[in-house]
Amino acid sequence: MIPLTLHVNGHIYRLQVEPNRTLLSVLRDDLGLTGTKQNCLQGTCGVCTVLVDGLAINSCLYPAQRAEGKQITTIEGLAENGCLHPLQQAFLDKQAVQCGYCTPGVILSALALLNENPDPTDDEIKTALAGNLCRCTGYAKIMEAVHAAAEVMRR
Amino acid sequence: MTAYYDYFSPTTWDEAVSLLMTYGPDAKILAGGTVVMNQLARGLIAPRQIISLDRIPGWDTIHMDGAVTFGAGTTYRQIERALRTTPGFTALVEAAGKVGSVQVRNVATIAGNFCHASPAGDSMPPLLALDASLVLYGPDGTRTVPADEFIVAPKTTALHPGEVVREFHVPALPNGTATAFLKFGRRQAMEISFVCVAARLTLAPDRRTCIAARIALGAVAPTPIRARDAERVLEGQALTPEAFDEAADIAMHAASPISDLRASADYRRHIVRVMVRRALELCWQRGATL
Repeated sequence: MIPLTLHVNGHIYRLQVEPNRTLLSVLRDDLGLTGTKQNCLQGTCGVCTVLVDGLAINSCLYPAQRAEGKQITTIEGLAENGCLHPLQQAFLDKQAVQCGYCTPGVILSALALLNENPDPTDDEIKTALAGNLCRCTGYAKIMEAVHAAAEVMRR
Repeated sequence: MTAYYDYFSPTTWDEAVSLLMTYGPDAKILAGGTVVMNQLARGLIAPRQIISLDRIPGWDTIHMDGAVTFGAGTTYRQIERALRTTPGFTALVEAAGKVGSVQVRNVATIAGNFCHASPAGDSMPPLLALDASLVLYGPDGTRTVPADEFIVAPKTTALHPGEVVREFHVPALPNGTATAFLKFGRRQAMEISFVCVAARLTLAPDRRTCIAARIALGAVAPTPIRARDAERVLEGQALTPEAFDEAADIAMHAASPISDLRASADYRRHIVRVMVRRALELCWQRGATL
C-alpha cells in the first residue's frame, strides 16, 4: 500500500491504496462516490467520466497515482448547498435522463465544454459528448438540455 | 482488479531509463494510458512495473521557433490547441481532433500512438508528411530516427532496450506549404481508421507549381508509408486535376492493405485513391490562399 492524497470536489482525502488502482475504483470503492459509474473499462463508453484539472477523462483508464496533486470533480461536486447545478436542473427539466446510468458522465463532459465554450453549436456539443454513450434517450433531449443549461449559465 | 504492479513516477529522463534497464521487459512505460490501462483491464498484459513519464519536466512542452518540437507526452488536445493556426500543421491538427473522443484526446499522446505502433495510428501520416523525426533517449544517450523509420512492423518499433521517446521534431516548413488529413471509417468518433491519408504540397509563389509533395498513408500497409512514386509525379510539375488523378492512382498501388474485420483489401485500395485525390485537392485549395 502506498499513500495517495486526492483533491475531490474541494475536499482533501488522504488514503492508502495499492499502486495498481484506477482513479475510478478509488472514487467508488474507497471514497464511496458512486455517482461515477463503471462499465466498459476500456475508455469507450464514458460512464466513468470525471474532470481532472477541468478536463474530462475516463477514470477507468487513469491510474489513481497519477491524480495526486490534481483537482478532481465528480458529479457529486456539482450541486451547491443542495441546489442543483444548471446542467443537472436542465437534464431534469428536459427529461434528458431515463435510466440515468450515462448521466453523470454526460453532464461532466458537458460541463467541461461549457466552461470553455459558453455558446456551443450542435456540432460542438456532439463532439464534446462523442465519448459518452447513451442507450436510452437517443440524445435529442440531451442536446436540448445542454443548450438550455448553457443559456442559464450565460446569464 | 488488474494484476499487481509497482507504479513509478520518475522525475528525470535518466531515472526513467535506469528503471527500464533495471526491470527490463517486465516493465511497461505509461504515457497517456489509453492503450496500456485498457490492455491491463482486459488482462492482455501483466507488467510487474508501470513507469509513468508524466512527472518529467518538459514531458508535454511545445517549442515553436520555425521548427516545432513537442515533448513525447504532448496530448492530442494540446496539439489541437497549440498548433491550430501554425502554417502547414493543418493535417496534424485535423488528425489530432479526430482521435477517439474528448476524454481520450485529453490524455492520449502522440508518442504513445507511435510506440503502440499500430499501422492505423492517425498521428502518423501527418508527421510522415511533415518529415518529422523522433528523438530517443536511452542508456547510450540520444539518437534521432525519422518518423517513417520508427515503426518497423505492426506493433514493433525501432526502440532499443532501455530507450524511450523523448520528443518529436518537425523541421521548419517552407513558405507556401499546405497540408490535409482525411480519415475513413464508419463513424465520426471512437473509430480506428480503415484508411487514413495525409498530404502536403509546397507551392511555388505562382501557387501553381509544386516544389515539394508528400503523401502518407495509414492502415493500408504493415506500417504507415509514404507513397514516394506518387510524390515524384507531382514535384516540379504544374498542378492540375489530371496530375492529382495520376498521383492518386500511383498512391493506390503503393498500398498493400489486408482484409480484416473493418474492410476488405480491395475496398481499402479504392478508398486510398479517392482520399489521396481529395487530400491533394484540399492542399491545393488551402495553398492558393496562403
